[in-house]
Amino acid sequence: MGKKSDWIGAVAVIGGGITGIQASLDLADMGFKVYIIERTPAIGGIMAQLDKTFPTNDCSMCILSPKLVDCGRHENIEIITNTEVQGIKGKPGNLIVKALKKPRYVDLELCTSCGDCAEVCPISLPNEFDHGLSERKAIYKYYPQAIPNAYVVDKEGDEEHRGCIDCGKCVEVCKAGAINHDEKAENLKINVGAVIFATGAQPFDPIIKREFGYKQFDNVVTSLEFERILSPSGPFMGKIMRPSDQKEPKKIAWVQCVGSRDKSIGNEYCSAMCCMYTAKEAIIAKEHDSNIQPTVFYIDVRSFGKDFDKYIEQAKKEHGIRYVRSRLSEIVENKKSKNLLVRYEDEAGELREETFDLVVLSIGLCTTEAREAFMKKMGLERNEFGFVQANPQDPVTVAQPGVFIAGSFIEPKDIPESVMQASAAASKAAALLRSVRGTLVKEKTYPLEKDVSQQDPRTGVFVCDCGINISGYLDVPNVVKFAQSLDSVVYAEENIYTCSQDTQKKIAEAIKKHDLNRVVVAACTPRTHEPVFKRGLKEAGLNPYLLEMANIREQCSWVHMNEQEKATEKAKRLIAMSVAKARLLQPLSDIEIDVTQKALVIGGGASGMTAALSIADQGFETVLVEREPSLGGKLNNIFYNLEDTDVQKFLTDTREKVQNHELIRIYTNSTVKNIEGYVGNYETVIETPKGEKEFNHGVVIVTVGTEEHMPKAYHYGEDPRVLTQRELEEKLSSTMPEEIQNGETYVMIQCVESRDDDKPYCSRVCCMQALKNAIKLKDLNPRSEVFILYRDMMTYGFKERYYNEAREKGIMFLQYNKDRKPELIMESSMVVKTYEPTMQEVLKIPTHHLVLSTGLKPRSDNEEIAKMLKVPLNADGFFLEAHVKLRPVDFSTEGMFVAGTCHSPKFITESIFQAYAAASRACTLLSQDKYKTEANVSSVNEEMCSGCGFCVSVCPFSAIELGEGKAKVNEALCKGCGSCAGVCPSGAMEQKGFKSDQLYAMIDVYLTEEDKTCLKIKK
Amino acid sequence: MVQIRLQNIGTFSMGDIKMTDKVLKVKNGDTVASVNDLLKELLKSKKVQALLVMQEVPSKAMSFPVLISDPDKLNSNVFAPVLPVSTATIISKITKVESASKPIGVVMRSCQIRALVELVKLNQANIENIVIIGVDCLGTFPVNTYSDFPEKATPTEFILDSFKKKSDVVKYLRSACYTCKDPIPSNADIIIGLYGMDPQKELLIQINSKKGKKLLEGIQLEVSKDTNDREKAIKRIREEKAKNRMEFIKDKSNIKGIDALAKFFDKCVNCHNCMKVCPICYCRECLFESSVFDLEVNKYIGKAEKKGLFKMPSDSLLFHTTRMNHMVVSCVGCGLCEQACPSDIPLMEIIIPIGENVQKEFEYNPGSDIEKKVPMVIYKEDEYQEVGEK
Repeated sequence: MGKKSDWIGAVAVIGGGITGIQASLDLADMGFKVYIIERTPAIGGIMAQLDKTFPTNDCSMCILSPKLVDCGRHENIEIITNTEVQGIKGKPGNLIVKALKKPRYVDLELCTSCGDCAEVCPISLPNEFDHGLSERKAIYKYYPQAIPNAYVVDKEGDEEHRGCIDCGKCVEVCKAGAINHDEKAENLKINVGAVIFATGAQPFDPIIKREFGYKQFDNVVTSLEFERILSPSGPFMGKIMRPSDQKEPKKIAWVQCVGSRDKSIGNEYCSAMCCMYTAKEAIIAKEHDSNIQPTVFYIDVRSFGKDFDKYIEQAKKEHGIRYVRSRLSEIVENKKSKNLLVRYEDEAGELREETFDLVVLSIGLCTTEAREAFMKKMGLERNEFGFVQANPQDPVTVAQPGVFIAGSFIEPKDIPESVMQASAAASKAAALLRSVRGTLVKEKTYPLEKDVSQQDPRTGVFVCDCGINISGYLDVPNVVKFAQSLDSVVYAEENIYTCSQDTQKKIAEAIKKHDLNRVVVAACTPRTHEPVFKRGLKEAGLNPYLLEMANIREQCSWVHMNEQEKATEKAKRLIAMSVAKARLLQPLSDIEIDVTQKALVIGGGASGMTAALSIADQGFETVLVEREPSLGGKLNNIFYNLEDTDVQKFLTDTREKVQNHELIRIYTNSTVKNIEGYVGNYETVIETPKGEKEFNHGVVIVTVGTEEHMPKAYHYGEDPRVLTQRELEEKLSSTMPEEIQNGETYVMIQCVESRDDDKPYCSRVCCMQALKNAIKLKDLNPRSEVFILYRDMMTYGFKERYYNEAREKGIMFLQYNKDRKPELIMESSMVVKTYEPTMQEVLKIPTHHLVLSTGLKPRSDNEEIAKMLKVPLNADGFFLEAHVKLRPVDFSTEGMFVAGTCHSPKFITESIFQAYAAASRACTLLSQDKYKTEANVSSVNEEMCSGCGFCVSVCPFSAIELGEGKAKVNEALCKGCGSCAGVCPSGAMEQKGFKSDQLYAMIDVYLTEEDKTCLKIKK
Repeated sequence: MVQIRLQNIGTFSMGDIKMTDKVLKVKNGDTVASVNDLLKELLKSKKVQALLVMQEVPSKAMSFPVLISDPDKLNSNVFAPVLPVSTATIISKITKVESASKPIGVVMRSCQIRALVELVKLNQANIENIVIIGVDCLGTFPVNTYSDFPEKATPTEFILDSFKKKSDVVKYLRSACYTCKDPIPSNADIIIGLYGMDPQKELLIQINSKKGKKLLEGIQLEVSKDTNDREKAIKRIREEKAKNRMEFIKDKSNIKGIDALAKFFDKCVNCHNCMKVCPICYCRECLFESSVFDLEVNKYIGKAEKKGLFKMPSDSLLFHTTRMNHMVVSCVGCGLCEQACPSDIPLMEIIIPIGENVQKEFEYNPGSDIEKKVPMVIYKEDEYQEVGEK
């Protein structure tokens, strides 16, 4: 490693999908400069193209967009789009990333995204964001919510369509002067300390599966195309239509495993997310139009994740989605009706045919030659599937120091796991660069704030044309004139783009010249633009909370395009309301809370040890509490695995590292007795064998693990021949080959007392556990007989290879259905009776051993811990994260994090990266000595508070408590959502910046302006 | 017996699990005096530090809840068919600051017990050390006709006599009592039962909780032999009330639209009495009595100009709709609001149909189950999906 003096406190994140975005946000919050290098014109990746997400059916864009905006406006993040990385050289801590930046032809600083250019552009091309199902212009925005929020010129086009013809019409209409057709490509050299690869994988192109008719038949689409069809911003505005005739389809078929689990095309692995998104697409389609009859053709339903099984059950039971276990032979089009005849072999092996209006191919993720060439160029080792070679015990690290990996770049996976790995990679990079943290981050300084407390309101109103986006549909001069007439308004003006850099300067000048102490911006949505104007006010020496926005674009010009007069009147009224509110605005200060830069980790298994090490490696003192006499948790019970990694050595090494780390203190045989406090300031009492210890810290990480489910069925515990998989593993770990006799039979039953009404979730690890024990048995003596009785083999991702290996080794797999479970008959010997659906026969298997896969269950004391920490559990008793997709390791209470199997059952590798992720999220708080939060929090008027506690019940952030019969708001935890103010019957709870008098003033003006002012003042 | 432990509020009993029923023998056919003797014994036994019970005022013109600690001063009439004030509100007042250190016995009607359950859920009362003695309710008469009751007998004699003779008292009942949700005080610790009994001979004493059992320990009571009559009588009265209620709603729920509402409330004098007497209403300062609605003179003139005239005082309709919005989910149907109205606005005609509908929407029966959260604090993701669509 090089001298630390030339280390760089910056990280290049390659790939701007959800993985890259999360890694960047974590690193930027931890005090590193981040460059996101993205190939396309905007960040967002595949997630931006999705309609909804499983298993919560959240709108994908609605949950992604805030993260996009955060990236776009983060002081420490620089987004470099249209750019491809060419090479990396140097040493960890000081790397040079060489990249080719293609010209955008549009200046990001100047473009205000008004869209006037695209209006006049004469060239239309297929819209790649909609997978060619719609068209876009040669100058276009990648998608409506794109960040950077700017247009781009396509000069190249594609094989069939020409791109920009340099007609210059866009240049003429661009009032911002943002377009430059002479821009040239640029060779970038970006100096960073570390690199994270998060470039994802390629959606499989089913054109090579000729039998499915993709691109031959109009009404065969991919699942990603169907996402766009579902999306309100998609080609059919969210109406489900089939491409051939734009008619509403009634019968839709989904075909699972297209391009996955398919030896014929060399993709032997499972893509891990298709089963779930298929169920989601079918459910959402059905919600759009209840007449739709969805059918899913599948091999196994791999619902191995948290709450996945329930989702599938819901799809089947509540939404009536038909599941057909089958293999498809071909799809044929009826030339006239364009309907599709699906030929398949059903469970019983019979050939069947059925006609559908639309067929969706559930495509997986794969690698491509270009992708592999890129990896080769980057010096990354590849595995047999053409994905990057990852180490199961250090899952986001590769051989090259300073280079980390995350997301589907490693293996196909869904969003939450990508997000976890993103945070994990960020944690790794941050630990490497800890000595140069904060060196490239600039703290912005602002002029002293003007004291407005003694002044009457003097309001300035700035009305935006948004190019012609607003001025093309509203009479803006009339609006400005009206604004001037309003009470307290001393200045009003019209701007072409109020958000542009030069207008910001003009606003600052106006504030000085007219001694303004309130500013109203009538433009677009505060969601994206309020931070810009707030910063403008701060730079002009005015408290940023003296700003109010009126959205006259989305709410006037865009929705009332054809009604200029009425839209103009509405705009006036909205402005009058904003001015009325602005008059009552008070300066507010952002909240700053001291942070004790130390962490508490509860539970010392694989996750706990990893999290503690990761936080300590980043330089923060950590206390690790373990109830057992020694660290390791479930690792103590794992003796071998299929990846051939030495688990016991890993345990010994990790334990040693933890024990020897100077920043980690371990309390074994200990439990957390009590935790008081809030983010940044926890006071904890730990019960240790040597008495109670007190510890003050800023964050908590919960990694308490799970318990093994001990079965009651199949004479377990009564007959020594009946074992659990764990017991078999322990036995086999010390069994010599000669101890297993030829022909000794083992029957393994999966999902015992699992995935049923009592335990309605999949424990995820049991299928692999069975496979590894089965393969071990075959390795010990190939003549031993092993049967695995399963419901769905959950060998997702690359784990599929072990399923294949097991079959090749002669292990027998027999499927059974939930409602017809295998039975054990105890005669002179044991006989397992099971119904086999393919043969449609009951089989009787005499066996020497019966092995039960029983799964994991939540620890019995989870409830107690949850109560102490005031964090929730899900219906199954596992800890419930803040958001299953995008905040998979955060609790909704700020400062608390979760990792490992107490979150949901998972493999060691997954626990490890989730623990790294929790550490990363924790370090975004620990890396600063102050925790800052916005000022518009709630406050209680104690005189009026009756202490009914409604606010306590509705607060999603546990920020309110009752004390002495009054509600008390913890400003550190309050996020300003306003739920409490809404529910308070007494009006005792108010949200700063949205106080009742401010809102009443708005309503009042609205009602009085209704008949009076607006319609009277005309040009 | 199910005892539910709730944070900060002590235990509350559920009435549906049977303990041994007892009977109180009525001496000399004097129902009121016999119950008074029982209460006196309780007070003497020091198992309660005080009793809150209805007692006639010296003029005999009215019965009021009094807080009594001296057994010699006890001259109660738990059957006085009148509800001048809310006893639930009184318990809230007594226990809001801190819970009672030693048991206090409170004699209540079912509607007031329901109100108390709601107040406990709203953190406005603490029933630790409150022992509820519920009395089967035969209905109550309005306060304004109570003092010069048109019959020969006193109201108490009249109602007990009518009950025995099964003669109709509907014409005297408040509409709230006519449409009562349930006259049986099922949630009490001890129930003094009339239904299915002969009030001149014996009354049922049903012990409903550990608290109630403790209170009656050492008190001489006979074991009840047969409860069949009572069960039938309860079933009958509940059916009758439910029928009354349905008919009342069918008859009265024709107020639709803002104009009909305005007409309904046009006699309102803005005294806010309805709000002040409501047992559920608990804000420390009502928004409508704050300065929020004080406007500049121009705004009033503006309002007048809008239609040419403007009824004063302003905002009475907004007051009533807000009140309804705040109350109906927890409305126990005690009818105190209607009784308090100086303009005789038949408030039950609007509160009962709306309350019934709203409560049905949220599957919420106020006052019935202390464990069930008020709908306001429950968030269901898949609830009211139709709101906001198209």
